[in-house]
Amino acid sequence: MTEDTNTTTDASHDPADEREVRTDGGDEEVSADGSGIVPPDDETPTWSERKTRTQGLSRVTYEYFERARREDQDLRQQSSYVERDVLAFPAWPHEMIRNLALTSFFVGLIVMLAALVPPHLPNPADSGTTPAVILPDWYLYWSFGLLKLGPLNPELSLLGGQVLLADRTYGVLANVVVVGAIAIVPFINKGSARRPVEQPFWAAVGVGGVMFAFTIAVLAVKNIVTIYEPLLFDLTFLSPLVVATITYAILRSMREGYMFDLNRRYYRLRPPK
Amino acid sequence: MPADEDKYPEESGRRRFVKGVVGSATLGAVAAGTAASIDTATSAPGAGGGTVEFVGIELTDGPAPRGMPIIPIQIDGGTLKGYWPEVEEIEQQGRTVKVSEADVGGITYSSTWFQYCGVQKYAGTAPDADADNTFLAKPDGTYEWMSELSSGDPLTVDDFTDYKEWGNGIGKSGLGKPAMANWRNTSDGRPMPIQVLRSPEVSKMANGEGKYSSLPGDVQSFLSEATQDGFMAWLDKCTHFCCVPGFKTSDYPGAEDKVYCQCHQSIYDPFTPVKGQFVALPR
Repeated sequence: MTEDTNTTTDASHDPADEREVRTDGGDEEVSADGSGIVPPDDETPTWSERKTRTQGLSRVTYEYFERARREDQDLRQQSSYVERDVLAFPAWPHEMIRNLALTSFFVGLIVMLAALVPPHLPNPADSGTTPAVILPDWYLYWSFGLLKLGPLNPELSLLGGQVLLADRTYGVLANVVVVGAIAIVPFINKGSARRPVEQPFWAAVGVGGVMFAFTIAVLAVKNIVTIYEPLLFDLTFLSPLVVATITYAILRSMREGYMFDLNRRYYRLRPPK
Repeated sequence: MPADEDKYPEESGRRRFVKGVVGSATLGAVAAGTAASIDTATSAPGAGGGTVEFVGIELTDGPAPRGMPIIPIQIDGGTLKGYWPEVEEIEQQGRTVKVSEADVGGITYSSTWFQYCGVQKYAGTAPDADADNTFLAKPDGTYEWMSELSSGDPLTVDDFTDYKEWGNGIGKSGLGKPAMANWRNTSDGRPMPIQVLRSPEVSKMANGEGKYSSLPGDVQSFLSEATQDGFMAWLDKCTHFCCVPGFKTSDYPGAEDKVYCQCHQSIYDPFTPVKGQFVALPR
């Protein structure tokens, strides 16, 4: 693979490179009269091969690749980038030696830690007893909290006051809703703002989301939180809204000053005529 | 020009190799998947499951789907035992299946009541298992008073003499004295976790006195046979995700005088037995 690139590099040096090269192509128009053509390397088809490709899919394919090749060639000629002879190191032995060194270091680290800090081996799991406090890892609390949305599961009068979904199914679907909402955000807001004050609404949505991640995590551990449970449940959903509103109000009121500051700086740079 | 000359990407030794690896992996996966699905489709399912009606302590709050089944009590010379009916063989979908079921106060009590949450895989749940029906103490630290018992001691009536005053600082005292116990241990070392409760309320429930007069007739007649001297027992497996809850174990709001599951805050009330229905898993 590496040998192939050398020929391309050498081949692309032609008298055209002696001109002043600029990435935007300079003042000159790109010549289409064939004067900029470089000798083909061994991956480009010969002229006789090209000639046979005159119809159908092979022609379309040929045109596509030929145009790509041509554009690539033009870009290379216009660029001021100096192509080196060596683009990378071979996998063997150079890269492999380095990888072996890194691997040995981390394996050694694991062995040393295992020797110095022997792991605690607890008793085998006993399905006959459950510890008094049993919780998932802290970073999963938000998801654990979503499983406790039973009071939000609507009792439908159509079903005679019965719920449509069991509370546990409802909790699992709540996870889908939350993950879906997070996944959709990049599609409805591209995030072109550089600072929150430029888009107060989306900043407020973000702050509310972070707050909700926290409050739902607190709801998850409601058995060890000493807040009256219905109050805690209401706070879980209301406090993100409140915080988001406050954020929006603050950023919105900051915007005027921010714009003023921007304008002042702008006019200082370019004083009005 | 040969027909395949302008194929892209062109044929090469490396490409043939990759095609071979991918192709054989696909074939292998299809073969293994087919074998596995045929295996599941044709292997005999476990027997003895299906829809079953039971009497259990009521679920009053939390995500669990239903209550926990009550175990009828027998007192044999001061030792507490759980009732396990005689094994009989019945025809079920062309196969002979062993069940142990009996009529308890007008309700069909059977071993299928306990076939959920993996308990159906315990050897002691098999109707004909060679298991001891005595309730064996399990001092796991849940209740302070049980520390004087050693693990595996049969629970006796004498252990519960102070049940009318007993309290552990959670909720109000005098509501009953609970114990954690194991039931039907076999050689596989996986007994059913159960909870025994002796309470003055239990005999009132069995007789339908006072506020318990509104209990449904069949539940009340079941209780009058399933409880004795204020003792009742239930399979201590939360129907939600199979944790082992406890009576009077937490001052979580609303759970002080009830059975509280620490995993997802399900709350059961042992003093409101109800009839329920679920699909028992096959053994």
